Amino acid sequence: MLYIYASGSLIADHSPGRPVFDAIMSDGNIKTERMEGDHTIWIEKYRPRRLGDIVGQDDIVVRLQSYVESGSLPHLLFTGSAGVGKTTAAVALAREFYGDTWQMNFREMNASDERGIDVVRNQIKQFARTSPLGGASFKILFLDEADALTTDAQAALRRTMENYAHTCRFILSCNYSSKIIDPIQSRCAIYRFRPLGPEAVVEEVSRIAGLEGLAVSQEALDAIVYVAQGDMRRAINALQGAAILTREIDESTIYAITSTARPDEIDDLLDLAIGGDFDAAERTLRHLLQHRGIAPTELLNQCYRALVRRDIEGGLKVALIDSIGETDFRLSEGASSDIQMEALIARFVLCAGKYA
Amino acid sequence: MDWTEKYRPRRLQEIAGNASAVRQMYEWARDWTRGSKPLVLYGKPGVGKTSSAYALAHDMGWEVIELNASDQRTRPMIEKIAGSSSRTGSLTGASRKLILLDEADNLHAHADRGGAKAIVDIIGESMQPIILIANDYYGLARELKAATEPVQFRALQARQIVPRLKQICAAEGVVCSEEALAWIADQAGGDMRSAVNMLFAAAIGRNRLTGEDVRTVRKDERSTIFELVAALFKSRDDADLLALSYEVEDTPDTVEQWIEGNLEHLPDPVSRARGYACVSRADEYIGHTYRRQYYTLWRYATAVMLLGVSRAAGGHGIHGRIMPPSRWQKMGRSKRQKAIRTALTNKLSIMTHTPPETLREEFFTLLTLLVERDPARYVRELQLDADELNLFLQDRARSAKIVKDAAKEAKAAEKKPAKKRKANPEEPAEEETRQNPRGQSTLF
Repeated sequence: MLYIYASGSLIADHSPGRPVFDAIMSDGNIKTERMEGDHTIWIEKYRPRRLGDIVGQDDIVVRLQSYVESGSLPHLLFTGSAGVGKTTAAVALAREFYGDTWQMNFREMNASDERGIDVVRNQIKQFARTSPLGGASFKILFLDEADALTTDAQAALRRTMENYAHTCRFILSCNYSSKIIDPIQSRCAIYRFRPLGPEAVVEEVSRIAGLEGLAVSQEALDAIVYVAQGDMRRAINALQGAAILTREIDESTIYAITSTARPDEIDDLLDLAIGGDFDAAERTLRHLLQHRGIAPTELLNQCYRALVRRDIEGGLKVALIDSIGETDFRLSEGASSDIQMEALIARFVLCAGKYA
Repeated sequence: MDWTEKYRPRRLQEIAGNASAVRQMYEWARDWTRGSKPLVLYGKPGVGKTSSAYALAHDMGWEVIELNASDQRTRPMIEKIAGSSSRTGSLTGASRKLILLDEADNLHAHADRGGAKAIVDIIGESMQPIILIANDYYGLARELKAATEPVQFRALQARQIVPRLKQICAAEGVVCSEEALAWIADQAGGDMRSAVNMLFAAAIGRNRLTGEDVRTVRKDERSTIFELVAALFKSRDDADLLALSYEVEDTPDTVEQWIEGNLEHLPDPVSRARGYACVSRADEYIGHTYRRQYYTLWRYATAVMLLGVSRAAGGHGIHGRIMPPSRWQKMGRSKRQKAIRTALTNKLSIMTHTPPETLREEFFTLLTLLVERDPARYVRELQLDADELNLFLQDRARSAKIVKDAAKEAKAAEKKPAKKRKANPEEPAEEETRQNPRGQSTLF
């Protein structure tokens, strides 16, 4: 809903269903406001507060809950790709450990902001060595994206973790544990968060849709699962984006809001190219890129996913995936996407001809 | 409380394994005088280096002053802390103070500028015992290695880890199955701290542990990479194969090494050529990934090498054992060789007033020929050790012998200067060069 404020008070209410964040303040300036309820970002609004509310990571949740029950905690290393619940688990763990005062004893730092050795020697050490507040037996430092720390900084962290273990526990999160040096891995209990399965994504999206009073069709749920690729953040963002447009969400809304081609459109494109019809394939390509506004790299991503699952001769499959990779690499080097995408289709046709 | 701290051994006799290292430390401490060389404890993480140093101090009644990588270790800093304490007595009346420099191989190039040199200087002046700790002995500065005595700590055997875990279980009142203990000990890969941590993480809030309970804590990494390689050689659905590769904790560059190391299992030369072509293409993607920090390219590397090699194998399977990449061993060796070569080049560079690159590119062949002709003389002149001489001779046994003989001779010459002089007329040329000041050797 659009609220317009004059001198700080509500004067008008326009276009229901469209959240807008601006409010005019008494001095005439426009202030951006985050309103609890309608206008917050849903991944924050619906971020599970309790460990038990986290979906799709049951084994891990059970272990973390038992840490809370017993009141003790080892250093932890959470590994896994984006949007699988690492940060949520760390924050929920802290909330359950400390209750209302959790923010006094919990600190979140993102290692990718400051990744040098000084951040460990100064900020981290400073936090770790001061005593916990409010009768807690230790504090928790959550170091997000710890794999972004330089090797030197990680080396500086290792004795800190031991020397201040009586006042502070560390939770490190990273995408790949292989980027964390062995001495640190040796000091942590390692928990691997897997990409979320379709059931977990559907469960959470349905829950949110229910609370928001949205009607989401089964096809739309499938589309969200396809778009999300195991990343809950992406799933919820797609849902919120679609909800801004309509209360009744079908698959086309999801594909449109996420600028994603429908899987069958991708299949058409591949069928035409592998069938040797360059002109038709090129028309389909142009439609997707120009009329549907799908980003070239997203199209590459979708073609890759479709090809991996496609039932074709192995040698051809490798050759086609290699062509996509080559195109992706050239785009990353700054080549023109129009030319490279058309060249990709041409290469598909040539490869298919060779293996026919 | 964290179990790794709670159950850290307090006395030397509680240290698990590494008996000879512990004995060496004890004898060093017992016989310590101002002239004793400091020790360097080196070995993998979690094998007891830091614990042994603290336990030693406890047994000897020494105080410990620790400097580790979490402290800034510039020259003034090290001198201030270690320097002053190394020259003064103790306030609390402890007989000595043990200065412990942890993570000595991790001196930061910029933030810790001058740190290595300061350590060497302090070693020279110290009135207190010093112990350095490092993971990588060859990562230590050369001057440090020369001024210290190495003590190697080896990875622990599972049978050395299990008893310790049992003690902890008993103390904590946890009943843990033999299977679970064996699994933890095996998973830890010789790392006691990791084993204790896994036990701790699995045991919190429970008083009974089975094999099933411990397995959520850490996934069996090695078995999955073995599984992946095995699956690659059997025919498997492409999507399954890629899904399996996401289960493997290792990054594509590691997977690539494993695949390459096992390409010999492909049935015939044609399929082998195909396999190599795919791995080499994947390698390009991996290179691009790191060069541009564009991690999307990883998936093409994975797909091309997995699907490509899988197709080349044609479901043939692996007949024989899946081996870890032999390249790693070779890389370990060549890393050491490289370190020796760099150190030698730098030394020669200073002695001959020639830039290191020039020495490497233009003089190395010549030097090799010269050293071949009279190795003993070059050992004396350039003060080569056996490793360095071996770079020229490529004959480990012979190099060791020559260096040993040269050392013996030098000792004899020190003891009996008169006799040596008599023998000299036979080798006048050598005598001349010996009188030349260092750095102006006639060799060049």
